[in-house]
Amino acid sequence: MPASNHVLVVGHGPAAHRLVERVRHHGHRGPVTALGAEPRPAYNRVLLTSLLGGTLTAEDLKLPDPPDGVRVRTGVTATAVDRARRLVHTDTGETHPYDHLVLATGARPRIPHLPGLLTADGGLTEGATALRTLADCERLADGPVVVLGAGVLGTETTLALLRAGRDVTLVHPGPHPMDDRLDDMAGALLADHLRSRGAHLRLRRAAAEYRPGKLALDDREILRADALVLCTGVEPETALARRAGLAVRTGVVVDRHLRTNDPRVHAIGDCAEFDGEAPGLVTTTWEQAETLARILSGEEAHHRADRPVVRLKAPGIDLACLGPPDPPGATRHVTLSDPARGRYARLALSGERILGGVLIGLPRATAAVGQLYERGLPVPSDRLGLLLGTAATERPASVELPDEAVLCHCNHVTKGDLLRAWRAGARDLPGVAVATRATTGCGGCADDVRLVLASATGGNSDP
Amino acid sequence: MTRTPRTLVVVGHGMVGHRLVEHLRAHDRHGTWRVVVLAEEPRPAYNRVALSSYLEGKSAADITLADHEFLSDPLVDLRTAAPATGIDRRARTVTTADGTVTHYDALVLATGSRPFVPPVPGHDLPGCFVYRTFDDLDAIRAAAREGRPGVVVGGGLLGLEAADALRLLGVRPHVVELAPRLMPLQLDEGGARVLARLVGDLGLRVHCKTAVQAVRARADGRACGVTLTDGSTLDAELVVFSAGVRPRDELAGPAGLATGERGGFLVGDRCRTEDPRIWAVGECAAVRGRTYGLVAPGYRMAELVADQLLGRPGTRFAEPDTSAKLKLLGVDVASFGDAHAETEGALEYVLRDDTAGTYAKVVLGPDGRVLLGGVLAGDASAYRTLRALVGRELTTPPDRLLSGAGLGGPPPRAREPAAA
Repeated sequence: MPASNHVLVVGHGPAAHRLVERVRHHGHRGPVTALGAEPRPAYNRVLLTSLLGGTLTAEDLKLPDPPDGVRVRTGVTATAVDRARRLVHTDTGETHPYDHLVLATGARPRIPHLPGLLTADGGLTEGATALRTLADCERLADGPVVVLGAGVLGTETTLALLRAGRDVTLVHPGPHPMDDRLDDMAGALLADHLRSRGAHLRLRRAAAEYRPGKLALDDREILRADALVLCTGVEPETALARRAGLAVRTGVVVDRHLRTNDPRVHAIGDCAEFDGEAPGLVTTTWEQAETLARILSGEEAHHRADRPVVRLKAPGIDLACLGPPDPPGATRHVTLSDPARGRYARLALSGERILGGVLIGLPRATAAVGQLYERGLPVPSDRLGLLLGTAATERPASVELPDEAVLCHCNHVTKGDLLRAWRAGARDLPGVAVATRATTGCGGCADDVRLVLASATGGNSDP
Repeated sequence: MTRTPRTLVVVGHGMVGHRLVEHLRAHDRHGTWRVVVLAEEPRPAYNRVALSSYLEGKSAADITLADHEFLSDPLVDLRTAAPATGIDRRARTVTTADGTVTHYDALVLATGSRPFVPPVPGHDLPGCFVYRTFDDLDAIRAAAREGRPGVVVGGGLLGLEAADALRLLGVRPHVVELAPRLMPLQLDEGGARVLARLVGDLGLRVHCKTAVQAVRARADGRACGVTLTDGSTLDAELVVFSAGVRPRDELAGPAGLATGERGGFLVGDRCRTEDPRIWAVGECAAVRGRTYGLVAPGYRMAELVADQLLGRPGTRFAEPDTSAKLKLLGVDVASFGDAHAETEGALEYVLRDDTAGTYAKVVLGPDGRVLLGGVLAGDASAYRTLRALVGRELTTPPDRLLSGAGLGGPPPRAREPAAA
């Protein structure tokens, strides 16, 4: 490691924010600078839909201030990297030197080819917006909303807008919402849930033309669309890396040390591609930020392609997806369906290892199964008990989880964080929420958090 | 106490009629009943469920139900080839085809059912058969020619047995089933998928979601193939109809006995008709309007009527066990209890192993503990255990019950003896 060790981070979203915090945590002492293109401090993008739903305010999304000695420049866009001189130029005419450059440029919404969507100057037509930034949320017009695309974001957005009392139509080309992750049965349950909340679904339909206030579908139906929300996917933001001559495929290509083909340039988060994947998932981002923070602090660490659990963040439905709907190599399939209670689980196994699955309405099992999946552990022999949460001897309560197990996925709060908060005096849910922000996202982790508190209180009767 | 025994006439000597007489004779220690059994077929009762084994080389004697003791019982008067043709309720007599009139004090109708043959053009051509009696099987055997195609109409339990029988005779069978899957009454989609693969391995060619529209004839008038409703055609020298059964209730009308909406002698839950001296049991009985095509409920009816005749503490006919296991070589498929999860609030738990080619579903009560039913395919060795546990709270997790069944360990291949 060079004596001078200036870390320059391009981007100031969740990936960059986490990185600078963890770099300091792991003992890095050199200067750290982050360049944020958005005009405001870092916020938790994952919780944007909670903002739409009215459960959180913009203030609540704010991430903690960066640690001392970290310089954050907001409203500054990096325009070029001079790798020979190790300099980054910005649109404000600034020049920033680096010893290690970290690209955390994130992703940008994919804008579909839709007649009428773009204005002559290439901007979005009035009423249409993507949903990537706080500014996007603020731009959302009143009146009936059409959401395009029923992936995770489109589905969460629809549910959030319904909670806020909006009239929402969800248009999706697939046979059911989230069909890239859910099998037919799970997809049908999710569609039922959306309908029960008042969503109008237009499945197997595509948008044909947009005019302010109106969206025409491919079957000629005209939907009223005072607001049109584009949830049609994202693509890694790679323009800067491309211009700098770095290797780019879908994302900026990195190795297991999160290094690009220039050893002084790294990339993490939604802009990075590792092992052919740019999953665009916040759990992957957290893991990469942590790993790179260790590396930049001189520790030996490397990134592994993780096995992320994708959760739908919406009150009233517990839905988690593990891997693809039909993972290759799976030879055993376990299915539990309980239509009367809206519960469903499907696990695809190879031997006793989970390769993929879906869980709906089974929060206890989701916590246990998610941990087994992420850590590649074998499932217990009483799989029904695991799914129903009734396994007597193998109860996988979160209290038996390791300290680094993440319980609040929205805010990336680990069991260890909760225990630290408990030791610092937080004894109830509101207390730990203030201390750690756990439960302040989708709220789905409240049961797990309560369990940890109860066991800490029960097992450590205060001295 | 010696008293002239009263006369019980049993019309029909199938499995259920036979069970009734057996049960009655076993418990009638004082000989209060003399039994006249009127059999339509020229031979005593046989195990119709095991009829297919007749084609596998067993003789008629191997599957007969009437042993020496029964045939030599002085209080049992078995009259074969004596079909009943009429009932005179006022005179309390039954007339048989040869004109014999027999008086009864009690009458039990156990006439069974007949195969349903859809009235499509050509259904009665030479080369068309049903699959119910020894005579039917003899006729099929005589017509079967090695390597020639045949068609079985109906992919239910019996249709698949018939198709397997054709296969054993060297015929290459097609199976035509109207429902989207084989054994639609017993199996769910997942179980039926495994079954289709297994019978496909045996050489059966399955055509679901279609029906026979007509049987085509050769120049000499014999069946040579079928046309399906989707317009396709299949060549076939043999056409076997196995598309369900209809109760044999033709004695009811002339005798003024009521029948159920879908046929069958209408009886209450003690299997008694509105005439207090007349009962009906087995497939010909419409218990509170519903008929049952399996032997197990028939046996229950036979026993509870025999008990009534003997004045034993009577029971009522309860919702019967409709469990079923397919008996084809190498094809393990079974369903038991509430296989389709029709119970309010029931949940389904499915284990599928693509490597082993097995599928197992258990249906549980709303609490996830009480076993209600299930489907097993590819390996049905857990059938006996699970069937016995229906209605009870499982103390062993279903994963473990099924892992003994090959969904984990090596499959113990036990062949179910021929009895339902």
